[in-house]
Amino acid sequence: MSNIPEDGDPNCVNQAPAPTNGKFRSRRLHLFGLDSDDIVRAFFGGNATIAIIVLGLIIFFLFREGAGFFGQNGAELNLYRKSGLEYADYMRVQTDAFFDLSKYLTSIESEELTTLVKKDGLPFREAKERTAALHTFTDDLRMSIGPMKALMDKQVAEAIAIRNDFKLHPDSAELIARRTALLASRDEFHRLNEDLRTHVSAVLANLPEADKRFARRIEKFRGMAENYISASRRTDRALDAWNPDKPVHFFARLTSFLFGRNWITNSYYQDWYGVLPLLYGSVLVSVIALFFAVPFGIAGAIYVNQFASVWEQRLIKPYIEFISAIPSVVIGFFGVIVWGQFVRDASHWEILSWIPGFPISERLNAFTAGTLLAIMAIPTIFTLAEDALNNVPKAFTEASYAVGATKLQTTSRIIVPTAMSGMISAVLLGFGRVIGETMVVLLCAGNRIEMPPLSDGLAACFKPVHTMTGIVAQEMGEVVPGSTHYRALFLVGTLLFFISLAINYVAQKILRRYSISER
Amino acid sequence: MENRTGKGTFRHNPKSWSHRRERIVLASLRLMTYFVIFCAAFLFLDIIVKGTPTVFSTHFPFVNVEFLTGSPETLHVFEWNGSHIELADNDFRTWAAANGVDAATFKDATYAYSGGGILPAILGTILLVAGSMVIALFLGILSAIYLSEYARDTAFIRMIRLSIVNLAGVPSIVFGLFGMGMFVLFFGWGVSLLAGWFTLAFMVLPIVITASEASLRAVPKGFREGALALGATKWQTIRTNVLPYAMPGILTSSILSIARVAGETAPIMFTAAYAMRDKMPWQVDSLWGFFQQGVMALPYHIYVVSSKIPQNDYTARMQYGTALVFMILVTAITMLSIFMRQKARKKYRW
Repeated sequence: MSNIPEDGDPNCVNQAPAPTNGKFRSRRLHLFGLDSDDIVRAFFGGNATIAIIVLGLIIFFLFREGAGFFGQNGAELNLYRKSGLEYADYMRVQTDAFFDLSKYLTSIESEELTTLVKKDGLPFREAKERTAALHTFTDDLRMSIGPMKALMDKQVAEAIAIRNDFKLHPDSAELIARRTALLASRDEFHRLNEDLRTHVSAVLANLPEADKRFARRIEKFRGMAENYISASRRTDRALDAWNPDKPVHFFARLTSFLFGRNWITNSYYQDWYGVLPLLYGSVLVSVIALFFAVPFGIAGAIYVNQFASVWEQRLIKPYIEFISAIPSVVIGFFGVIVWGQFVRDASHWEILSWIPGFPISERLNAFTAGTLLAIMAIPTIFTLAEDALNNVPKAFTEASYAVGATKLQTTSRIIVPTAMSGMISAVLLGFGRVIGETMVVLLCAGNRIEMPPLSDGLAACFKPVHTMTGIVAQEMGEVVPGSTHYRALFLVGTLLFFISLAINYVAQKILRRYSISER
Repeated sequence: MENRTGKGTFRHNPKSWSHRRERIVLASLRLMTYFVIFCAAFLFLDIIVKGTPTVFSTHFPFVNVEFLTGSPETLHVFEWNGSHIELADNDFRTWAAANGVDAATFKDATYAYSGGGILPAILGTILLVAGSMVIALFLGILSAIYLSEYARDTAFIRMIRLSIVNLAGVPSIVFGLFGMGMFVLFFGWGVSLLAGWFTLAFMVLPIVITASEASLRAVPKGFREGALALGATKWQTIRTNVLPYAMPGILTSSILSIARVAGETAPIMFTAAYAMRDKMPWQVDSLWGFFQQGVMALPYHIYVVSSKIPQNDYTARMQYGTALVFMILVTAITMLSIFMRQKARKKYRW
């Protein structure tokens, strides 16, 4: 009974007094001065560090693959500028803006025509005569872009050719000469731009009196046209200030990823890796999911914890825990086959026609994915919120009853406020689960890289979106390792990783700081 | 409002506003809870009802043997002598040879992935789960023993705990990216079982550690003190007086993480899963080849058949069949864990 190893463990109640003369040794095997117990301990300790190691490795590998993005993308952006493609792009954007404008006017015309024929019952010819004035304007506007479009097409084709040659022969003098030739068209472009501006102003001044029903759209057209004119002036200035040899600033590389509104890959023109539409999609889908999951999860937890009978508790709790065991891919599959179809069919019902955006044409959209994600988030929120309610000290409840409060009063004024921190962290953890979920959004969110404008209100929820998790899952299998696209996907993963870490951290912090229930 | 009745007891007035409000709130809470239950039940029933015809049959042996033992094949559908015939690719070739039809030029409707069965996917899932759980349990239980039996509250241990908590919140797709970056590309293992095992193992590690630690802590202190008092060393104490009692709890909680491993798709998408593989997992050249092979997996198969091929009645059969088999597998694992938990509770009471 003399070989109890020296061990400061507080559990060890009968510690032997430490040997004083240094001769005391256990009779068991020693290696490097450690007895077998120490070795076992060290072995276990080594294993315990695995969590740190894994977390470190994840960060390391995400950075290792992702960090190269900024360099590679910067080089591509530099090439984009050096070859004059950026210059041609200004022209392209300006021309596209003009097309949008003219398309909008055409759409007003065709809508007016349809309304006259269908609603007012006019014969087609008469309706045509009534819109004739507008028609000459739209035609005129459409035709006036011709010379500019021709110039732009030529410029863009030349710029792409120069870009592709620059890749093969960097800094070749011949290519720089070609680029200079490209820039010589600047004056012609300015002249055409000026012409168009006068043209649009003339159109605005002489816009024919339209039907009152379309006054709002005409008004919107006016706004668009004015925007176009100021944008056109800005383009002129940008073209003048444009300098092909100025390298792309490092900050611009960062912002082109974080705040870029385009995610365009494998394009003939120029690849853009802007994460904003993906982040927007992820957040939109998560918000829809939480909108449904939070009330149902919390209500379920309060009901089961406070009001349910014993047999209800025994059934509902395992049942909801069991929901969390449904694999996400099965829920996504259900969404593709059943739920998405149902949402689209339901959107055609008369009673639901008051909802903005109905009827919808896409069965897979943010709403489909969000509602299915809600089913996945409910068990998380339910279980954690129920735990929080359970941890409220009995004394609180009893005190409340003792002063004559009813069950509902006790629940709403004592128990729920006490458990609030736990419930908030439950919601946050549910959010973390939802934003990191892959399969449901990959299958059901529609996977279209767009940002449905929030100004559409509720209708934006019924548009297809793409998400950060979805894009990684969708495109990772097809990219060449080491390419800019590949690195961009790792960067999206890194962003996702840090978002989920932040959510987790805040949830833990809230749980610890504000919980009364632990004592 | 409470009324004091003549006998000196509190009683709610059933007509009072407070009482009515309580009933309304209670009813709406109950309605919301049951609505969630209903939604999930609808999902289960839909898969069960539509999947049953594919997986089970009305006569002996009551399961669709071809579906459970075949590989996915292209389905050929055609009219022949006035009868409607549906044949999987291999059967179709046999049939074509027997009837003197040229299989290559024969006009028929073909549906990818809609014939045959899903055996490779079932086996692949089982292999992935088995391998990753061995790794996760080994690392997880050892970590948990250290954390619950040896560790003191130092800064380092707090850091470990913080890592575990944060690791649990990392999205599964990020684990997939990590597995691809580290195992598939950096270690050069390629899309393989081995890469999938480690990726999945690291993903469930936090769950295993947390669950195991809770089970270890549930063993009463007296057990340890008794052993130490008799002169056992720390390790002897753990081995004889702690682990045997904690083991049922550890295993039970670990089974829940098996359900998670079996259900995840994102981590294996780029690390271990193939959309289609004809060979069975044991048809490999060498032992190393076994670890190096990619496998089919049920969740990935569901993803492939529900997103990569056009929807029609023939593919829907396959989809629902696969989903039902998958659900049965996951349900069985979960039920097993619940059952074992109850048994363990009865066996060890202190």
